[in-house]
Amino acid sequence: MMSARAISAGFKQQAVQFFADPQWIIPSLISPFLLSMVMIFLSSGGTSIEGPLVLQAVLGGGVLGMWANSLFSSSTSVSFDRINGTFEPMLGSGTRIIYVLIGRSLWSTLIGLLNAFIVFAIAEVMFGAGLNVQNPILFFLALLMAMLSLSSVGLLISTLFVLTRKGGTVSSVLEYPIYVMSGALVPISMLPQWMQSVSLALAPTWGVDAIKYSALEGYEGMLGMSFITDVLMCLALSIIFIVSAYVVMLYVERKVLRDGTATRY
Amino acid sequence: MKTVIEVNDLVRKFSTRGRPTKTAVGGISFDVGQGEIFGILGPNGAGKTTTIKMLSTLLIPTSGTARVLGYDVTDDRTVMDLRKRINVVSGGDRGLYYRLSAKQNLEFFADLYGIPKREQTEMCQKLLGMVGLMNAADIKVEDFSRGMKQRLHIARALVNDPELLFMDEPTIGLDPEISRSIRSVIRDLSRSGKTIILTTHYMYEAEELCDRMIILSRGNIVGKGTVAEIKDMVSDSSVVHIVTDRDPSEALKGFVSDPDMTVVSSRTVGGRYDTRFASASGKTDVGAHEDLFRPFGIRLIGLDEPTLEDAYIRLTGGDE
Repeated sequence: MMSARAISAGFKQQAVQFFADPQWIIPSLISPFLLSMVMIFLSSGGTSIEGPLVLQAVLGGGVLGMWANSLFSSSTSVSFDRINGTFEPMLGSGTRIIYVLIGRSLWSTLIGLLNAFIVFAIAEVMFGAGLNVQNPILFFLALLMAMLSLSSVGLLISTLFVLTRKGGTVSSVLEYPIYVMSGALVPISMLPQWMQSVSLALAPTWGVDAIKYSALEGYEGMLGMSFITDVLMCLALSIIFIVSAYVVMLYVERKVLRDGTATRY
Repeated sequence: MKTVIEVNDLVRKFSTRGRPTKTAVGGISFDVGQGEIFGILGPNGAGKTTTIKMLSTLLIPTSGTARVLGYDVTDDRTVMDLRKRINVVSGGDRGLYYRLSAKQNLEFFADLYGIPKREQTEMCQKLLGMVGLMNAADIKVEDFSRGMKQRLHIARALVNDPELLFMDEPTIGLDPEISRSIRSVIRDLSRSGKTIILTTHYMYEAEELCDRMIILSRGNIVGKGTVAEIKDMVSDSSVVHIVTDRDPSEALKGFVSDPDMTVVSSRTVGGRYDTRFASASGKTDVGAHEDLFRPFGIRLIGLDEPTLEDAYIRLTGGDE
């Protein structure tokens, strides 16, 4: 019950902060927009911007935007509390901080979905991308799963931000590997073999594949897997990431208390 | 009186990259009874905040034991239960969400403590009323003055109705009027049955509020007891009080090299120079000092009973 209350508190607080602080517009709207535009221009090869390649680019751009938002929110989530001096009162409150972080991630998930739709709308209106999604219901489900998976990775990463004061730097370093390895930028079949193994262990890879499955006509799926396999793998790996985040958080909380670094920023 | 805090040989050392750099608390022992206002006094870096953090489970001790409300502060299995029954007021500008209103800050922390929603509205009103912020409930904290933030800190620390409240320099940097109102809140909280652990630099505050206290210096306890007991610890020394027309700095220079003499205070009051100094080795001969200060125009000279401040200076060796 306490955990549900803390999740709800984290969600609500993130929402209030979101609307109160204009800087959130950058990762939530501007960054996804720019990333999508880059993807569209790269895919068009400087000529026509139509056809399935463009749709693939738009979908990829949407995922990049969702990840940028999720990572920004997870990295700033703890760093913000450190700087603000609210990390220690939260730590001493008798609830696990991980629940607050989950609540904040849920808000980011919601905003991430909004980002994706904004990207699709921009691609359609500005570039006439011709977004004919194969199955809108499955597409929405896939989008939801992809966002959950990205948030779960963000959540795991956010626990590590408890240990470091250099949230911004670490966040920048972690942004690009997911772009490449999730298959959002290029199909994972184009990656080296060793990297493909890492890709398959990432929940977002399966979420991205599910998106492509539901949106692209004639898409055969990564490694020939079905849509339902994508969704189930995405869900299973997301749960593993969330549980891992919980366990890691217990460790880092203890470490912070042992090292006396809770108030450093 | 039931004991709510038992501290035995508590040590906290800090290290950088595995190498020990500082012993902040060097093996202290004391206990606190239920309902007491217990003071932890000491100069900067004496270990006051470190002690409070260890007792409030925000820092793990290097060695020694501490039991708070019967819980071992290092026991992971019960630490969450303990945290629900205590809270900490920190001094300073940080520790609140600036873009949230006072009420939203309280609601957020109330949620973390699992306070039911239906109770939160009434609780917020009560707490904001208690600290005099009722009219600022919906104002963002970024628009608050320093004093308002400090009062909100206190309200925030009361959201879980703690049995034990740690207050780390709650009046530091505040103007006298606000400080007085905060001391009044502390007294009210004590009257309502809460145990309060208070760290402060201000002797008058400790004297006014604390039932008992410890004085820390460089991580060790150098004084312990009631105000009267602490004063008794330096009853062997006498304090000479002199008021002169002119600055007696020249006369005081001789005291710097004399380990027996400590200048307790030296200030200007109404254009005159008010100086108090103590001798550690027994009663001082006022007459001997009269000659020394005569060239500066003596207006008043006499012996004072040691105050808490005198005792504090003596016991800490003036290591501010």
